[in-house]
Amino acid sequence: MMTRRSKLMAASAFAVVAGLAFAHPASAADTVVKIGIDSSLTGGDANEAQLVTNGALMAIEEANAAHLIKGVKLEGYVLDDGTATAGQYDPAQAAVNARKFVSDKAVLGEVGPEMSGAAKAMIPIASWANLAMITESATNPAMTDPAQAAQYRPNGKPVFFRTVATDAYQGPNLANYFADTLHVKTMYILDDSGAYGEGIADAFQAQAIKKGIKILGRDKLDPKAADYTSVFTKIKEANPEGLFYGGVLQAGVKVVKEAYDILPHTIKKAGGDGLVGAEMFTGAGYPAAEGWYATQASPHITEDTSAKDFMAKYKAKFNKAADDYTITAYDGTVVLINAIKQVKDSGKPLTREAVRDAVAAAKVKTLQGTVAFDENGDIQDKVISIFQAHEDKSDTSCKLEDDGCQFKYIGVAPQS
Amino acid sequence: MTTADVYLQQVINGTSLGAMYALLALGFTLVYGILELINFSHFNVFMVGSFVGLGMLELFGVEPNAAALTGFALIGVLVATFAVTMLASGLLGVVIERVALRPLRNVKGPAAMITTIGVSYILFNLVLLGVGADAKNFPSPLPSISFAIGGAVLRLREILIWIASLLLMGGLTYFVQFTKMGKAMRATAQDPDAARMMGVEVDRVIIMAFFLGSALAGAGGLMFGLYYNLTSYVIGFTTGLRAFTAAVLGGIGNVPGAMVGGVLIGLIEAFGSYWISAAWADVIIFSILVLVLVFKPAGLFGRLAPNKS
Repeated sequence: MMTRRSKLMAASAFAVVAGLAFAHPASAADTVVKIGIDSSLTGGDANEAQLVTNGALMAIEEANAAHLIKGVKLEGYVLDDGTATAGQYDPAQAAVNARKFVSDKAVLGEVGPEMSGAAKAMIPIASWANLAMITESATNPAMTDPAQAAQYRPNGKPVFFRTVATDAYQGPNLANYFADTLHVKTMYILDDSGAYGEGIADAFQAQAIKKGIKILGRDKLDPKAADYTSVFTKIKEANPEGLFYGGVLQAGVKVVKEAYDILPHTIKKAGGDGLVGAEMFTGAGYPAAEGWYATQASPHITEDTSAKDFMAKYKAKFNKAADDYTITAYDGTVVLINAIKQVKDSGKPLTREAVRDAVAAAKVKTLQGTVAFDENGDIQDKVISIFQAHEDKSDTSCKLEDDGCQFKYIGVAPQS
Repeated sequence: MTTADVYLQQVINGTSLGAMYALLALGFTLVYGILELINFSHFNVFMVGSFVGLGMLELFGVEPNAAALTGFALIGVLVATFAVTMLASGLLGVVIERVALRPLRNVKGPAAMITTIGVSYILFNLVLLGVGADAKNFPSPLPSISFAIGGAVLRLREILIWIASLLLMGGLTYFVQFTKMGKAMRATAQDPDAARMMGVEVDRVIIMAFFLGSALAGAGGLMFGLYYNLTSYVIGFTTGLRAFTAAVLGGIGNVPGAMVGGVLIGLIEAFGSYWISAAWADVIIFSILVLVLVFKPAGLFGRLAPNKS
């Protein structure tokens, strides 16, 4: 039996729904355009994946609220390429997701994937469908390398774009910083055997050697293994001044923990953007994380005045602080939405191919500045920022899981 | 560090790791000895154990970055955490046996083994859903005391692992060799039908095997957390497979064999990573599994399997 109050509530709920429907009389006739969003929501990088996914969804929501594209309602189509068995991104799952995007006719573009290892599996599938992908954080250089066009653009034109720089800059520029600013003479290098991890470690190592740093050893880790103590004992024996770890956080948190336990604390330790995630502080935590350097393959934007509104809105909406790759994800989504708008406004039919062409020619003002791509899909302004983890107990507004504020900005890494 | 120091350090690393493998291997061996069943859910009982331990430590107010405990407080917290973790894991093992395996007891073929794989994945995904995918910081109540032996470092947590596993393995050996229940277990392992005819309650023996094996796995999971200061829902499979290899190496069904096998696998992993490369650790360990199965299928110490004719 309905009480009077519940009747009243039902009536008012109906009124609200009806009111909404009448407020946008055209919405029923809007074409639905989906934007695929792929990241590694399951596994060791789950927190970062949630941040970037929310960034992309926020851009979509804002565009809808502003009725940016007439006659088009945008929808985010979120897929997870992480699997429980892999414990992190899983290339096989990424390929399945790419097929899901491609087979859904309403999907006209994709934001992501977050990880290079996933991107390598998705791009060939997206290429045959002309589906434009804009990644916020997959930094392995191979995917935009024209020498590997047969692999990554079998259909001719590039479909893979980035709102970040690549590891061809991230690794070497950090190596420059280690040689020129930190004056490190000897190093040991580790990677997590993944596409990203190996690539950035190779790039770092090559530039380090060029800069006169002596590489005392290089080891690959199994990201699912628990025990790295014997590797660190070996590193302790080699006694390097610096340690570089290329990889993401599944192995990363264990590397950070065990390095702290076993190596002398004077060793300068660094990783790439793979270390930037909440797990660095919730999993590894202080004091182990203290002093680790990490990079972002984008300008440092979260503390910039241009991003102030965004940061406040994001925090209010998701109750988490955005980090730089949240912004590159948001920027990438804005670029994609703009491309869809351009095609729609020009009166041409909304096809994946037209959207891809519009993305390739994009020149869009975003939070990080004007985003434009070169002929391979790489962002034109390539900036690598360096950060260092540091515990600031006096800053109570910076929560442990907010990697954006736990990593303190140091500056732009020296370009070779 | 001199080379001798490095070797000593790797022995410390390897035996600590091996002690955890040994505890886990014992569970495989106990159940196999009695049921001839390879219990793959054991992997994730270990993992659940580490989360039970984490929950207990949090109940005691042991937080990351909290001051380390000393004296009786430390011993009290450790003993209580070990006791609760082992009890909870042991009961989990009993529940798995009762719910998923007993109905299949008389089904021939690999049905029961496949069921244990299913149970393993259920536990794995339940923990994933319950606690999330990221690695969890495992707070340690241990003070960071360490002793230098030449250039090698022996930490309190390694000493703790050795002492705890020696106590547990000693206790198990005593139980199996000198108690009535232990005698019943050995009898059932040798010939379940004859044991039943002599008045042994085989169901109780089986429950006891699951309880003991799972309790030891839980203790292993807790040690894992205390040793690495980390835990995550994925730790069961990699650690479990290595422990299983240890059980096969020592002769599956053979209790002392599992202990020696565990320590051997730990040492092989440590020295393999040192001499060759960390990425090769699994290749080496599982090559050993294959070699043992091919050339010495009963393991180094022989199999004490049921006499089923």
